Amino acid sequence: MFEFFNQPEVIKTIVTLGSMLLFFVGLFGLLTRKHIIKIFISIAIMETSIFLLFIGLTFKTDFIAPILDKIHLDVSTMNDPIPHAMILTAIVIGMAVLALGVSFAIEYFKLTGKTDIDEMSEMRH
Amino acid sequence: MSSILFIALPLLFGFATPILSKFGKNGVAYTSMIMQLFLLALAVSLLTTTSSYVEIISIAPPLGISFVLNSASLFFVLLFTLLMTLFSLYYLIHRKTDAYKDETKFFILLNMLLAAAIGLVLSSDIFNIYVFFEIAGISAYILSAYKKTSSALEAGLKYLLTGAVASVFLVFAIALIYINIGSLNLAVIAHSFEALPYNIKLLISILLLIGFGFKVEIFPLNFWVTDVYQGSSSLVNALFSGIVVKAYLFVFFHILYLFLPNGDFTVFLVYLGAISMLVAEIVGLRQTNLKRLFAYSSLGQVALIFTAFAMQNKDAIQAALFIVFSHSVAKFIIFLVLSAIEKEHKSIHIDTLKALNSSFLRAIMLIAMLSLLGIPLFAGFIGKFLALKSFAVEGLFVVLAIIIIGSLIEAVYYFKLAGFMFAKGEKREPLKIALAQKTLFGLLAFSLILIGIAPITISGFLLDASSVMLDGKSYVSMLVGG
Repeated sequence: MFEFFNQPEVIKTIVTLGSMLLFFVGLFGLLTRKHIIKIFISIAIMETSIFLLFIGLTFKTDFIAPILDKIHLDVSTMNDPIPHAMILTAIVIGMAVLALGVSFAIEYFKLTGKTDIDEMSEMRH
Repeated sequence: MSSILFIALPLLFGFATPILSKFGKNGVAYTSMIMQLFLLALAVSLLTTTSSYVEIISIAPPLGISFVLNSASLFFVLLFTLLMTLFSLYYLIHRKTDAYKDETKFFILLNMLLAAAIGLVLSSDIFNIYVFFEIAGISAYILSAYKKTSSALEAGLKYLLTGAVASVFLVFAIALIYINIGSLNLAVIAHSFEALPYNIKLLISILLLIGFGFKVEIFPLNFWVTDVYQGSSSLVNALFSGIVVKAYLFVFFHILYLFLPNGDFTVFLVYLGAISMLVAEIVGLRQTNLKRLFAYSSLGQVALIFTAFAMQNKDAIQAALFIVFSHSVAKFIIFLVLSAIEKEHKSIHIDTLKALNSSFLRAIMLIAMLSLLGIPLFAGFIGKFLALKSFAVEGLFVVLAIIIIGSLIEAVYYFKLAGFMFAKGEKREPLKIALAQKTLFGLLAFSLILIGIAPITISGFLLDASSVMLDGKSYVSMLVGG
């Protein structure tokens, strides 16, 4: 019964719907949450959904991993490595930005005791 | 291979700092200075090339690195290296009395910002553009929060939040592009973008507009800009409005001209820009904090540049490049003067201008403001005049009217500021600034007047740059052939 799910079209549909659902979960969180850490988590969810979508749509089920060694020499049966490399880079960058953001949030909390984005109003004075 | 140096040297400098800092505090500062002077000399020497395409570096697909240095990108590279060198010179004197904590990091960030801004301009690979987009972003966030006061941290947080959201949309667009076209090279994408189904094209365009819209400070997405300018120190604000936003503007329109050479969204973007300008100037009218006020003025000017670029014709782009130059230089002067005022008066309220006791600084500020305003005989006039002319030629009289109304509102608050500066009343102790800093301000102000009186000095180069920027076909054929 699981063969149905092995068809490329079905997999792509599931990946697209699932990752878009995840994207809108993140977007919803970004727009409705007020706690700064929760906002960061929402952004992380949105990013991850894009990564899933990208990998899911470029990955081919009956192709092997793009690693050249003595046995696997035929490049035509391998998956495209560029999306993997790109997503790895994007994950690292996203991680770095989030870490930086959380460190700003911690420093800010130490100084003012605020975590709510609506209460951040140093500029109003 | 010389154009790779613009990116490689500043990044290499970052890795070399542990060794350089062994030579004491000045080791890092002076090495950075010398390197930037070298890059400036290199950029100037590239001006002698007569062809529009100065240099193309293409490394085969597995690495997929390609950089294109043509007249348009050379203009921006020159502007960025020049401003960064002048900034370092200014800071070298500034640091004697008011140095940043942990200066080594500060210099690393400055050079990272320079490398990323130049990388954005030169790169012709959309994923590399994403990487430079993030490097420029990260260094700008840290520079913004550098002083670690509560308002600086708040500015950094807001900057980072919007930047992170922008990058999500940009990655989404890049993923869709790769899934549909199978390449990351701008030239290859430009070649097959037209043939994509309409819905995909629309989706990618919207995602790119949202992603870059945050960074090019366009109307519904620019709510964060004024908070960031107000929270950050005036010194780094000079970099934000002089370098960072200009790099994003160039790369956004570079991509737009390549992907949509027929100008499918021209009218929409032109109106978007015009409305952004009007909104920024109206809100700017009531501000009493100088940094915030000039942030609104930056928003207005950037929106004007956006409108001119969005026209997608040669004359309008030339006008936009003129405004890019005059605005960068003028805002650079203004924010550096503000940092001197802030250091002396410990306040940045509009009333501090009344007590400002330095006729030199007042004169310099006045020149920069008159140029921003577009008074004849100053550089800002040429750009604004050419932009208005190109709107009139295209018959966009509503846009013309909006821009003129926006400029009039801008005039109201600039003349208010000028009135404050020259008001009679109690003056403070005279504000002393070093001779070298005076020379630097003088040179910048002189360049504004020189180009205002004799625009012919750069207009030929800018016209060449604008036609190269618009000419997607030769860009594609230069990179992929055929």
